[in-house]
Amino acid sequence: MAGPVAPTRTPEETVEEHGDLDRPWVTIVWNDPVNLMTYVTYVLQELFGYDEPTATTLMLQVHEEGRAIVSSGPRERMEHDTSRLHAYGLWASYQRDA
Amino acid sequence: MRPFRRRGDEIVARLEPAEARIVALLLDQLEQLLTAESEDVAGDPVITRLLPPGHRGDPELAADYRELTESALRAGKADDLATVRASLPPDGGAVRLDPEQATAWLRTSNDLRLALGTRLDIQEDTEPPEDLASEEGQQLAVYYWLTGLQGSLVDALAAGRAGRR
Repeated sequence: MAGPVAPTRTPEETVEEHGDLDRPWVTIVWNDPVNLMTYVTYVLQELFGYDEPTATTLMLQVHEEGRAIVSSGPRERMEHDTSRLHAYGLWASYQRDA
Repeated sequence: MRPFRRRGDEIVARLEPAEARIVALLLDQLEQLLTAESEDVAGDPVITRLLPPGHRGDPELAADYRELTESALRAGKADDLATVRASLPPDGGAVRLDPEQATAWLRTSNDLRLALGTRLDIQEDTEPPEDLASEEGQQLAVYYWLTGLQGSLVDALAAGRAGRR
């Protein structure tokens, strides 16, 4: 006798779901007309420990595309990251990863 | 003004008397805004820019975020402001900053630019003023002067970090 068939999971799905649990939220920096490009690069290095090329790439993404994801992880940590960016006057927010 | 540059462990600049007085005045204005009763400045675009919503689109999450972070953000801004005021020569002259003071200057000068930039509706293509006689022209000139000051501070701090590697 067989009960209802349990949904099967492929390994890929499991990895994906695990990834979702691990990184469901993101912190975004939005472009704004006041913050200097050098300042944004400096702050991203200072707060997240990015090396200069990585921070510059993210800064340029903010500048050219209007936004960039600068960190991802649990909601509480994204709230914290957002407030650290706000302390430096960057225009930031957090949300569930799309 | 002699812009910020690194000298040994310090970051130094020199302000003209008029420049130091303008910074002091802007600090007073920023402090007034940050210490005002929240109902008196509700909806003020400068306050919204200095203490922005943490979440877009979900008012409940944004309210949670504000409750969680706003008092610490305000306290941090007040501390920075006090540090800048204490290290500003009131009649101009040398500004000498240790790393902690330099970080306070960095954040506060950015807040001053955000406040002025929001009031003046600065856009990416806004040009420095041609007419310095008008009130707006003068404020725009102050904004660009602050941009130069903060830019030199960022460069001095970034050069110091590159040097530490």
